[in-house]
Amino acid sequence: MSDIKIKSKNLNVYYGDKQALFDVNLDLNEKEVTALIGPSGCGKSTFIRCINRMNDVIDICKVEGNIEIDGVEINDKELDVVSLRERVGMVFQKPNPFPKSIYDNISYGPKIHGKGETKSELDEIVENSLKKAALWEEVKDRLNEPGTGLSGGQQQRLCIARAISVNPEVILMDEPCSALDPIATAKIEELIDELKKTYTIVIVTHSMAQAVRVSQKTGFFHLGKLIEVGKTEKIFKNPDNKMTQDYITGRFG
Amino acid sequence: MTKEQRLKKRHSSEKRFRFYGLASIFVALLFVLILVNNIFSKGSSAFMKTAIDVEVFFDPELLELKNGANEEEILEADFYDVTIETLLKVYPANTLEEENALIDLFTTDAEIEIKKAFLEDNTLIGKKINLEISASDDIDQLHKGNYPRDLPEDRRRISNIQLKIYDNLIENKKIIKNFNNYFFTNGDSRDPELAGIGGALVGSFYSIIICLLLAFPVAVLASIYLEEFAPKNKITDFIEININNLAAVPSIVYGLLALQILLATIQLPRSTPLVAGITLALMTLPRIIIPCRASLKAVPPSIREGALAVGASKFQSVFHHVVPLALPGTLSGTIIGLAQALGETAPLILIGMVAFVVDIPSTPIDPSSSLPVQVYLWSESAERGFVEKTSATIMMLLSFLIVMNFVAVYLRQKFEKRWN
Repeated sequence: MSDIKIKSKNLNVYYGDKQALFDVNLDLNEKEVTALIGPSGCGKSTFIRCINRMNDVIDICKVEGNIEIDGVEINDKELDVVSLRERVGMVFQKPNPFPKSIYDNISYGPKIHGKGETKSELDEIVENSLKKAALWEEVKDRLNEPGTGLSGGQQQRLCIARAISVNPEVILMDEPCSALDPIATAKIEELIDELKKTYTIVIVTHSMAQAVRVSQKTGFFHLGKLIEVGKTEKIFKNPDNKMTQDYITGRFG
Repeated sequence: MTKEQRLKKRHSSEKRFRFYGLASIFVALLFVLILVNNIFSKGSSAFMKTAIDVEVFFDPELLELKNGANEEEILEADFYDVTIETLLKVYPANTLEEENALIDLFTTDAEIEIKKAFLEDNTLIGKKINLEISASDDIDQLHKGNYPRDLPEDRRRISNIQLKIYDNLIENKKIIKNFNNYFFTNGDSRDPELAGIGGALVGSFYSIIICLLLAFPVAVLASIYLEEFAPKNKITDFIEININNLAAVPSIVYGLLALQILLATIQLPRSTPLVAGITLALMTLPRIIIPCRASLKAVPPSIREGALAVGASKFQSVFHHVVPLALPGTLSGTIIGLAQALGETAPLILIGMVAFVVDIPSTPIDPSSSLPVQVYLWSESAERGFVEKTSATIMMLLSFLIVMNFVAVYLRQKFEKRWN
């Protein structure tokens, strides 16, 4: 269970003149949940946005170093980001369903990638994705209603279903519960537990408790540097680094 | 200051502000009311015209036509004698002076109106029918109450004899008012009773269509490129500043540009809707690009990221998600830009649309007028009849603008999607 899926080597990221990540070397295991913690602005989100090359959108952002998925370099200008993002899905901090029907939200990805040629194939993908995202029972009778009409927690699960719909290998989650109430959060965490059987998951979180609950491995970032990484239990019970100790006990951050 | 004093001061400043706000809205409404009232009171009478009920006898001896004559023969035939006979029968004129005065009560187009009746029914030879022949401009204005009768005769355009005949006709209930179809179907004319906005309407329509066809695609594609694809650097900043500047350039400058480039250099035909449309398109471009970019900007970045994250290409994320969401704002911006173009006068004057054009243009490369230019032309004319026509044209122009603005608001409210 500890095959390395994603490997970053000497990753440096700059926003204009400002360096956001310094020589990050981090291995993420397949079919495991890795939590990234650290104070705001420490580079956790920047790091996961490198994995699906989302930083390309930002003009002033420059990425140096290597990231490999299954041993293949992805930080390569020649690489087709569309097929990369098909393999690496992402869920954002704020639920961002398209202002379209629930059905269209899920079927959009498969459609543009040519998965689900017929209506019945698409129906199946939509149903499976919603089931995997534990949303099917709540929305099966109103698939044609707008996705933006759902509650915050449901919207976030809809976004997870949307990410699942193209059948990715990796799902990146950027503080997926920060805009949700505790009940909705619990549902998402349960879901993450279930999803890790199929997908490699990287989750950025500000909640220590959440990291402990959902992850097997935890990385602690501070000021753009990866301070410490290890099994979640070890990081939270017996960290090697004084800074990690201080952060998880709430002395700064 | 004590607490009570501060509280009192705060409350009174709020009250004062409310009063100022209400007062300014009241003043604004008052001005609108004055404007609308002025235009309506002057212009509404132009939609009716005065006519005189006459009996036409299609005398076979005076006409060289037979029943069943074809259109060409009728158009060539001389109806002058029949017309004079008809008009003279209306009132028993004794002297030549009276006869001339009587004939002058009618429009100069009386012969054409009688001919038209025969064109509609070519079996009228030897028959008598009742027709409503339009009155001359002076009688029209007199009947509408726009002409002062109590001036001394030498300062009136209507002679005492004519007034006598007019009063006699009123007594015999020969003078009637009917709907002024000439106002909508005729082109411009030197005779106010025959002048209409038909040519100007068609000219404006062609100009706006050409303006839309040129400006809309260019403006929308330019905004999409600038907003979504162009790299943010000094060049795009420079372009952006200049688009904003262009929107503020006085419209007459575009007229000068068109005069130099379209007319002098490329030698396009002057006074035509084609040139007007191109000129208006140049002027409208920045005015569409600005709201179009604003509505693209208003689409939250999270929608773009959501699409990219499921593996949509940049192009797909823009055209599947961003553009549809920005479309209502884009369309309403376009309509408002077109409404401005519809009311634009200055550049059209420079490209020769002030020419006196009688014919209604059948293609965009025929000489033509346009609604605002027609207003300008008629407002310069001395005849009383053109005063009401000027206001009536303004009414038409305003109603088009109001309709366009309503469509813009409707589109925006109906199709704008909300996101949280």
